[in-house]
Amino acid sequence: MSAIAEPTPIEVHPGAKKSPNSAKPTQSGTRQKISSYAMLGLLAAFYTGPLLVLIFASMKTLPEFFKDPTGLPESFALDNFTEAWGLANFPSYLVNSLIYTIVATSLFVLMSVFVAFPIARGYVKGSGALLTLYVVALFLPPALIPQFQLILNLGLFNTRTGYILLFLINPIGLIILVNYIKSIPRELDESAAMDGCGYIRFVWSILIPLIRPAIATVTVLHAIGIWNELILATVYLTNDDLYPITRGLIVFEGVYGSDWPKLAAAVLMLMLPMLVLYMFLQRYIISGLTSGAVKG
Amino acid sequence: MAASPQKNLFGGGRQRLYPWLLLLPGLGFYFLIGVGPSLATAIYSFTDATGIRGLPISWVGWDNYDEFIFAGARSRDNLDALQRTLIFMVLVTTIQFAVGLVMALLVNQKLRGRLVFRTLFFVPVILGVAVQGLMWKLFLRPGGGPMHEIFGLFGLESQFLGGPNAFYWVVVVQVWANAGFTMVIFLAGMQTVPADLYEAASVDGAVGWQLFKNVTWPQLTPAVNTNFLLNIVGSLQAWMLFLVLTGYRNGTNVLGYVVYAEAFGQTAASSFRQGYAAAASIVLFLLVLALGMAANAVVGRRERKYMS
Repeated sequence: MSAIAEPTPIEVHPGAKKSPNSAKPTQSGTRQKISSYAMLGLLAAFYTGPLLVLIFASMKTLPEFFKDPTGLPESFALDNFTEAWGLANFPSYLVNSLIYTIVATSLFVLMSVFVAFPIARGYVKGSGALLTLYVVALFLPPALIPQFQLILNLGLFNTRTGYILLFLINPIGLIILVNYIKSIPRELDESAAMDGCGYIRFVWSILIPLIRPAIATVTVLHAIGIWNELILATVYLTNDDLYPITRGLIVFEGVYGSDWPKLAAAVLMLMLPMLVLYMFLQRYIISGLTSGAVKG
Repeated sequence: MAASPQKNLFGGGRQRLYPWLLLLPGLGFYFLIGVGPSLATAIYSFTDATGIRGLPISWVGWDNYDEFIFAGARSRDNLDALQRTLIFMVLVTTIQFAVGLVMALLVNQKLRGRLVFRTLFFVPVILGVAVQGLMWKLFLRPGGGPMHEIFGLFGLESQFLGGPNAFYWVVVVQVWANAGFTMVIFLAGMQTVPADLYEAASVDGAVGWQLFKNVTWPQLTPAVNTNFLLNIVGSLQAWMLFLVLTGYRNGTNVLGYVVYAEAFGQTAASSFRQGYAAAASIVLFLLVLALGMAANAVVGRRERKYMS
């Protein structure tokens, strides 16, 4: 069934040829399995290596790290985590990241449902053109510089509001919503309208529960983007009190760059929420990322 | 695309306006922060805009483009960055495509632990450049870092991110960070291949490589094309790992980084030359557009070959 590219079987022992014909499939099956595991092992080393080294480093004292930067730590010390937490402005970075992610994501998703629904249904004139507008956006030049000019001239540079404003759009997210809403039968609108259900109430209490999977996907996709954002945080925020955790980490690197144990602990603390999120919402994360890609 | 215009079913009178009224905030922000600024990039590229509030902005015609492409040493650096962007694209596209495909083929088998491997390969995708970059900075630390020790086993020596080959190490990290994404798209494609195709081919005596070549590969056409396009466009625009891993310095810069650095005062000489940076960003955009369209044409031919 599997289609691993195995070159024509190489005879390891020319003498082994005499094996009975009937055993051949299982034998080549086993060989394929072994070579598969070997390749997986190599790849896994490439993937876990950096992570393991990071975890090990985070548990070492500084002298221990300099003596042996790569090996296992001597003890499970979590001092670096508590110290890193206290050293930088970490709690405040974390709160900022949470504020940006939660506020911008909820606003974006709420507004988008009210954009996606009438477009998907054709309840507004020119809905086809509007959808096209979202699709072509994926091919337009980056908005970075005029965006900066705009925020600057609005007087929102280096403010929370200005930073959140940047995350109120996401064409891919909108396209995901539109496509999902199209799969909800129109008859539902008709019968709800017949029963005297108003527009807002329909969207709020009938449509939204029905499109929960799409909302979850878009929410997760959007939230991950904000949580991980580094560039916009570098461009728009100059005040340490406003930094999200990504930017804080880079600041931390600048100050404690040679203290790798603490830096490693800090990196792990930034990673952890993402990993936890991934474990619970894997399905939505993957579908969000890939559906965006395929549609785009 | 969108449904053909339909009558709004929900009530008459004032209610008729609700779809439009409620659509406006989302659409408004989209114009204000998305499409508008995107298009305005072209306009800014003909001005001497800076990042300083209140400073007058005036038209400079083609000067920015002129300077970007023809002005002595600076433009030589730009053309180097352009060339490096293309090299980065070729390397990342090829390697990431191959690694992603191999990973997908491996974890698509009925092997124990395949879900663990899948997760492992995919997780870097969701980590973001700050984590990805710092993780590898530790791994590639010259003098005592793990990679340093691995190199030592073979009697090799490298400065990694601090040395002349830093660019290629960024390629490695870029692939590490994003191959899982390529893998997931391939996996989704593989799961749509009907099992009886494999059975039929097996009955005909196809094994291993033949199965791949005659069944998997043609059936994967949509996934192959998607990945090919995404890898090209993505790698042309990728530069953020450079920011974390190497910082702005000659010898490693790619075009996207030049734009950012010129616009936001990261270069030694400049301070927020946003008109100039907008011109650079249009150059990059045209490059992405041209190569994206070329790739799309290739992909279209492939689709006709395999899907008809």
